[in-house]
Amino acid sequence: MTSTIGLTCDDAPLCRALARWLDHTRLEPPDGLGLDVRVADAPPPPDVRTPFRQPGVVVRSGPPQGGVRVWWEVAPAFAELAPGATVARVTLSPAAIRELDLCTSSFLMTVLIFLLRRAGWHHVHAATAVDPEAGRGWLVAGDAAAGKSTTAALLATRGWAVGTDDLAFLAAGMDGRVSVAACRAPIALRVGGRRLLRLIGGIPRAERDKFTFWPEDLGGVWAPHVAPDIILFPSIGDGRSTATALGRRDTLVELVRWSAWVVLEPELAQPHLDLLGTLARQARAFRVTLGRDLFDHPDRLRELVA
Amino acid sequence: MTARYRRHPELRLAPVEGEGVVLHLGTRRYFSVNDTGLTLLELLAAPCSLGDLVAALVERYEVTADEARDSVRSFVDGCLAARLLVIDADA
Repeated sequence: MTSTIGLTCDDAPLCRALARWLDHTRLEPPDGLGLDVRVADAPPPPDVRTPFRQPGVVVRSGPPQGGVRVWWEVAPAFAELAPGATVARVTLSPAAIRELDLCTSSFLMTVLIFLLRRAGWHHVHAATAVDPEAGRGWLVAGDAAAGKSTTAALLATRGWAVGTDDLAFLAAGMDGRVSVAACRAPIALRVGGRRLLRLIGGIPRAERDKFTFWPEDLGGVWAPHVAPDIILFPSIGDGRSTATALGRRDTLVELVRWSAWVVLEPELAQPHLDLLGTLARQARAFRVTLGRDLFDHPDRLRELVA
Repeated sequence: MTARYRRHPELRLAPVEGEGVVLHLGTRRYFSVNDTGLTLLELLAAPCSLGDLVAALVERYEVTADEARDSVRSFVDGCLAARLLVIDADA
């Protein structure tokens, strides 16, 4: 499969490696987006705009110059998306290229998130899945400690189709509903989650003390697109699992909370918010506490939101 | 001179079933608003005086002018503190 995201690069081996990475994401946004990558150690331009920090990455956007600039903090790497541009200009230092796996999963994925916004695809920190019995799409939104990956893995062990455990992109569907595209990546479980699910194997990911599993490894399949009918905002608890229904406004507040990039790039904030509003209207949402009973009764989650 | 207020230009609104969420791109903060708050913020897309807002609430809701005045004053004060409104330069 060839990604619909264009790639130009002045270094042939790097170009091949980045093309493989893009292909592995299985992201197929509308044509016209691209990455223009060059290798250099040149310092990035000065920028006095208020930084927006995520782990390992710094973003500056908005007025006066507009557009967005992304810095990697691990090794020198910089990207710029000019206002309205659909091609991101990326500069990677040799040191960044030596850490290419980390660079793609952290820095370049952030660049991709901003690039995809130019095609109307807006990121939310969420897992996606499809219930094979009811045919309903699920979105599970929350931070890194909320239990998204454990939930995605649990559902995969029950034969569900799982799209992603974190990298979800909202887009307007043909039918007026919001559809969520998944970035193809293995589910990354912490040691504790792997133990609770009684899983063995997985590929160790040393840098974050996690083990990764493809949905297919767990008995599920991959779902590239999901139209959510159910939204969960989970947290991990000690007691029994519970679910509390949320009204539309509270659902929207939670969706904004897990859509960190919505505040950046003023011209793209309203379409992003509009998608979140549509999603809040189209799906029933629940605040869920994930208890240990789920691991003995994995279908309880479905029962709680029936 | 009567003060007139309007939404901060960096404000974005997302209505949902009569209520909504307000996002301030400058402060990077967001707030939920009830139906009355959403009504007022929608009106404040254009400069409004407190009297304009009170009149709108009296017309749309079953409230007295005194009740509406208290609600509007409290709402506008809160919005000014959170930088959701600006005092119109032409006032």
